[in-house]
Amino acid sequence: MKRLLIITSLIIASLFAAPALLAAQDDHKAEGESTFDPKEIIFDHLGDRYGWEVPFNHHHSIPLPVIVFASDGLHIFSSARIEHHQQYVDRGVTFVVPAEGPNEGKVVEMVDGQEVRPFDISITKNVCALFITLIVICAILLPLPRFYRRNGYKAPRKFLGAIEFLVEFVYNGVIKSILGDRTAKFAPFLLTVFFFIFVMNLLGLIVIFPGGANLTGNIAVTLVLAVLTFLVTNIFGTKHYWKEIFWPEVPLWLKFPIPIMPVIEIFGMFTKPAALTVRLFANMMGGHMIVIVLTLLIFIFAVFGEVVTGGTTVVSMLFSVFMLLIDVLVSFIQAYVFTMLSTIFISLAQVHEEHHEHESEAHQA
Amino acid sequence: MELFTPDFGLVFWMFVAFAVLFFILWKFAWPAIMNMVDKRAELIDKGVEYAQNAKEQLDNAQLQADNLMADARRQQAEILREADRLKSQIIEEAKADARKAAAKELDQAKLQIEQARKEAEQNIRDEVSAFALSIAQKVVRKQLGDSKAQTELVDTLLDEIETKN
Repeated sequence: MKRLLIITSLIIASLFAAPALLAAQDDHKAEGESTFDPKEIIFDHLGDRYGWEVPFNHHHSIPLPVIVFASDGLHIFSSARIEHHQQYVDRGVTFVVPAEGPNEGKVVEMVDGQEVRPFDISITKNVCALFITLIVICAILLPLPRFYRRNGYKAPRKFLGAIEFLVEFVYNGVIKSILGDRTAKFAPFLLTVFFFIFVMNLLGLIVIFPGGANLTGNIAVTLVLAVLTFLVTNIFGTKHYWKEIFWPEVPLWLKFPIPIMPVIEIFGMFTKPAALTVRLFANMMGGHMIVIVLTLLIFIFAVFGEVVTGGTTVVSMLFSVFMLLIDVLVSFIQAYVFTMLSTIFISLAQVHEEHHEHESEAHQA
Repeated sequence: MELFTPDFGLVFWMFVAFAVLFFILWKFAWPAIMNMVDKRAELIDKGVEYAQNAKEQLDNAQLQADNLMADARRQQAEILREADRLKSQIIEEAKADARKAAAKELDQAKLQIEQARKEAEQNIRDEVSAFALSIAQKVVRKQLGDSKAQTELVDTLLDEIETKN
């Protein structure tokens, strides 16, 4: 009952608050702020940027270092200098982030009025989020060995217990049950992948500073992870695995003189990481996008007057919260699925002659 | 679209970050955690097995004790039965011995009685014949010239006396 009261009062409060906020927004517009463009906002939030935006302030952001190899060498400067598309001259080289064109949103070097994209390894928002992820993972995982050293066989409680449970869940439930006696060789990689994705996903759901970067919804990140899985799979692949690719056990006419099956197998080698890349990327990007769109609905419906805006606010917020909760679930599921599929791909490349039946079964599954 | 083209800078940093993270965790976290998880699972398994064994042994011990008890009771009963049997046997034997001894005694007594009777008979016969002789002497003395019929009469008398005994 009490909870219901709180929710109702919150809804009523938002009914009144939203139009007021919108009025404030209108004031900003009057000052010459760019007009409302949902598509731009969505892609702006999904994409990468120099500097990290802070809530309630569109003029300033947390500055991050821009690192570029321009035509005359290395340049490092603060992202605050190129904010709002302003030009910055560093040691005689002009840098700017163009507002439009093929290099929109990327830092470019101006050479004779031409935009030239330098070699750019800036610490962007996503890269910074990557480092935060790294620190968070170390902070939650490294206390575990310390705990073991101090307490021997005692099981950790509370937070450490939860972390250990998570590790054990993936380790025993996925890796050990699929890889069997080759667990020790691949478990560190797979567990790292799992925690990396999981923490990145969760941090992405926090809307303000230490989180909010759409990392796993960025194809570069998922691509790297999938490529790593691909490399591990093929580098540690057994002789039999390679034989299955180039000389599979099928009727001769399927592999000679036209190598139909080998071509399909080689194609399959690359579709696996591609599927991994796109699955994680699309799932996480989709989640972020839905929440942003739901929030933007408030502003899209603002033109229909205060009552509609208030109603939309309530509905949008409820749906946003609902979607974010689902995204928490999806964060875990996607990390789990990525790890599981990586494990399966690796185990498929670990076949020996006697395991041949298992391999064909796994293929059917 | 920018969203679908991987940005080189991010790819580069992602590789670096992953490599660093993997190295740190591979060096300091995973071996210890995996080792502990495995070992603890083993320990728990062993503990459960041990407890099961102990319980089984306890159950067995109870059973064994019961068996031992039942055995002891059976032995006791057997011993008692044996003792009973032995007792009656001894009594039987004693009775038989006694009977035998008594019979022997009786036979001996009978034998003695017979002997005594025979002796007595002999004595009596001797005495009677002496009496008869003396009687006959007297009769003969009185009726010495008498007839032979008197002598016959004496004989018959003597025979009668003998048969009477």
